[in-house]
Amino acid sequence: MAQKRTKRMAVVNCAGGSTRAENPGAGSPQNGCRGALEAGEKIIECGYGCLGLGDCVAACKLGAITVGPTGAAVVDREKCVGCGLCVGVCPRGLIRLSEPEFNIFTRCQSAADGPTTRKVCATGCIACGICEKNCPAGAITVTGNRAVIDEAKCIACGMCAVKCPRGTIGDDWKIFTIDRA
Amino acid sequence: MDNKYSFTVNGITHSTGEDKPLLRFLRDDLHLHSVKDGCSEGACGTCTIIVDGKAIKSCVLTTKRAVGRSILTVEGLSEREKEAFVYAFGAKGSVQCGFCIPGMVMAGKALLDQNLNPTEPEIKKALRGNICRCTGYKKIIEGIQLTAAILRGEAEIEPELEAGADYGVGSRAFRIDVREKVLGYGEYPDDIELPDMAHGSCVRSKYPRARVLSIDASKALALPGVLAVLTAEDVPNNKVGHIQQDWDVMIAVGDVTRYVGDAICLVIAESEAILEKAKKLVQVEYEELTPVRTIQEASAEGADELHPGGNLCQKRRVVRGDAKAALKSSKYVVSQMYKTPFTEHAFLEPECAVALPWGDDAVKVYTTDQGVYDTRHEISIMLGWAPERIVVENKLVGGGFGGKEDVSVQHIAVLAALAVKRPVKVKLSRQESINFHPKRHAMEGTVTLGCDENGIFTGIDCDIYFDTGAYASLCGPVLERACTHSVGPYCYQNTEIRGYGYYTNNPPAGAYRGFGVCQSEFALESNINLLAEKVGISPWEIRYRNAIEPGKVLPNGQIADCSTALKETLEAVKEAYESNPGRAGIACAMKNAGVGVGLPDKGRARLTVKDGFVEIYSAASDIGQGCATVFIQMVAEATGLGRGQIKNMGCNSDLAPDSGTTSGSRQTLITGEAIRMAAVDLKAALDAAGGDLEKLEGKEFYAEFYDPTDKLGADLPNPKSHVAYGFATHVVILDDEGRVKEVYAAHDSGKVVNPIAIQGQIEGGVLMGLGYALTEDFPLKDCVPQAKYGTLGLMRATDIPDIHAIYVEKDEQLPFAYGAKGIGEIATIPTAPAAQGAYYAMDGILRRKLPMENTYYRK
Repeated sequence: MAQKRTKRMAVVNCAGGSTRAENPGAGSPQNGCRGALEAGEKIIECGYGCLGLGDCVAACKLGAITVGPTGAAVVDREKCVGCGLCVGVCPRGLIRLSEPEFNIFTRCQSAADGPTTRKVCATGCIACGICEKNCPAGAITVTGNRAVIDEAKCIACGMCAVKCPRGTIGDDWKIFTIDRA
Repeated sequence: MDNKYSFTVNGITHSTGEDKPLLRFLRDDLHLHSVKDGCSEGACGTCTIIVDGKAIKSCVLTTKRAVGRSILTVEGLSEREKEAFVYAFGAKGSVQCGFCIPGMVMAGKALLDQNLNPTEPEIKKALRGNICRCTGYKKIIEGIQLTAAILRGEAEIEPELEAGADYGVGSRAFRIDVREKVLGYGEYPDDIELPDMAHGSCVRSKYPRARVLSIDASKALALPGVLAVLTAEDVPNNKVGHIQQDWDVMIAVGDVTRYVGDAICLVIAESEAILEKAKKLVQVEYEELTPVRTIQEASAEGADELHPGGNLCQKRRVVRGDAKAALKSSKYVVSQMYKTPFTEHAFLEPECAVALPWGDDAVKVYTTDQGVYDTRHEISIMLGWAPERIVVENKLVGGGFGGKEDVSVQHIAVLAALAVKRPVKVKLSRQESINFHPKRHAMEGTVTLGCDENGIFTGIDCDIYFDTGAYASLCGPVLERACTHSVGPYCYQNTEIRGYGYYTNNPPAGAYRGFGVCQSEFALESNINLLAEKVGISPWEIRYRNAIEPGKVLPNGQIADCSTALKETLEAVKEAYESNPGRAGIACAMKNAGVGVGLPDKGRARLTVKDGFVEIYSAASDIGQGCATVFIQMVAEATGLGRGQIKNMGCNSDLAPDSGTTSGSRQTLITGEAIRMAAVDLKAALDAAGGDLEKLEGKEFYAEFYDPTDKLGADLPNPKSHVAYGFATHVVILDDEGRVKEVYAAHDSGKVVNPIAIQGQIEGGVLMGLGYALTEDFPLKDCVPQAKYGTLGLMRATDIPDIHAIYVEKDEQLPFAYGAKGIGEIATIPTAPAAQGAYYAMDGILRRKLPMENTYYRK
């Protein structure tokens, strides 16, 4: 049962575990993410993840986004006001708005099958279904090779984040998961 | 073991080498029992603690992941915070069964640490992860608001409220169990730790219906730490059952299981961890058989018989007047079929019992149940022992709602304790509890109701089919109440009701708040709206025209007593109903208080003066509804003594006289009257002693209350079926999106004993009724429950509408228990049909099945 809420916050659906592509010279900060994609440059092995070239960083007027140590964009929960500018500029559609008190997220939107994802990424969802099985609220389903959380059903208990063997599902409070990011 | 995982708990550093759920570490290693184990799945919130400022569930977090964290439990709150929460939760009536309360306190504390002046929506959001099944959340939200006000310095703790010098009937009584429940030191059976205590648990059937071919426990027995494995052969008499003894304690080799809750063998081990391993090592061979899934399959010709007497477990026929002729000559007749689901009680505390050998030839069991004498009776049948050799003592009961009337773990714990000659704890996991204990009966029913041109009811014909699942449990009386109450609280005399309860391989069905009446009154009240439409009058008007009044005759022939106030409840909600046209639904209900129908339903109490206190001995389970407090109020009212001079000694079959089951909304009235009678005698003695209680030291005052009733179908012009009836009218109001916005719940429960408590009872009952109407289901796949605790559809704090609890108190009251009639069950009965009526008013679609489909809540 969804509640209407006004306050929102940006969430990045990628934990940045992909292997970098061996492609020297590709991915200049001037061209950014969109430029790199349009130029056909391969930045990371994963075909769905964050390129880390900072289109969202540039778009954010509050300095709330940085590219973290894993190469994926990270939102500072203190600074973000949920304006949504970053959502529009991400060429891979990895950023969306959620509720600020909501802390559990699936940080992967790869549609590749499990073995492929496992090969190219350390944190990507391999569609193993452990989260779906352990979710007490029936809020997670593995669809299109990735875990999807129905936030209307989710009670943010963190069970999926604890059970996820890949660290795909993250906890923005960083209590249930110890992030590399 | 290397203590590699370190963290602080309540300011003290602790270390462990074991990676396990933090819940287990806090409870088992640190003995912090405020952290309750309600599901261990992350769904219920009873184990909520604060970790680095955030409220989280300790069953989810592990010791390994907690390294370096700062952890806070209720035990670690400051004195000021403890006092603020205790006072606020007591003053607002936030505490009923109490099992969710420490978790609520911690969720509230985490919020108040961030925001000491939260709005109501902010509080609801903060409590979204915490389920409460008793209160309907409203009183907990108010408790947190008052706590915040106290911590802000804007409200004050008034110690005299808790002290309770003025504690009589009708005063705002601060419940006696608030402090222990808020601070988490009150003991539920799972909080018992005894030296040398072992743990027991049953291996349960893999299939709903299968022949057990063999049980091989050799590998389990070989595991170090396993003490014994018992099977049906080890049970002196392998049958239990609340009324009908049809329930196998364990399924013997060669016998056929009846549902997935059936026990195959009982494993006893040194620890819960070894127990889990050992259970997996037991090898059971089955021959799987096709289950009987539905009433239709059970009643079909040639159906497999699940019990020796066939599949028809119980039937009833209730007839007065000539319903056929009356309906034939009626101006308007409406006939509809209705279907309602099994419902899970979902009490927050899963079943748990601790048994131990007692004296030379006795056994004692600590339990959480609705009647210690019932439990004693069932165990005595199983053991073939004189009942006196079994001592049953209730600890705190974390909710019951009817689901703790049958034995579940008590008899298992007794078997185990006698086998290993040590204390043994047996508790059900949450899923085991859901799969095992009896539900509210699923119903398929057809109601035909007629009226004349003015909307005056003429007669009713009704067929009620109940799925009673694998065992009878309380099928007989529940079916009977469904039949006798299917007529509603109205004045008409032609009734023909047929009720049937069929065995299937589904989980058993038994007692559940409302006791069959939720089902049949849903059908009746929905039909009434259709008749009103035909007559051209409003749903309110048709009810008012037919409403029972003092002196008039109910459809069962009973003359309504002087306290009857159904019309007053209708009047109380009239404006709310009429000012929301197209968005409001209305329904009435009646519910018996007391078992009635000719049974020897007795209340018993003994008051003893000891060490300057009046001690109340009366075995009447307080399952959260608050009767333990009510009894003290009765004594206070009769004697003028304050709460501080009166003690309730709880339920122990060795010490307190049997005052019957907590069932049928009977404790306030039946036991309450026995206590009042004894207290009046005590008062007379006190007056004779010049008001000096010390002079009565050692004196005892005993009373037994019994108001005879007539059995069902008694050949009398006006049989009296029940000592009393409570009445109610509910109005459910929707918003334009079809969400329930408000509920007005007007109740006639006679004299209100505790105004704080009754509101919480009504609000909680309404929310349970709304869940029944809108969100709760119990899906089965070939007789196997599919729901987990978190997917039952229980409403959360963010889902609640504004519930207005209204009680009408008349001057004319029954001469028992100061005029109190009981509120336990009726609060949950009219809500579902009122909600149905509201949707019908909105879109004209008659929703005949619960939970209703095509609403805001369910597509």
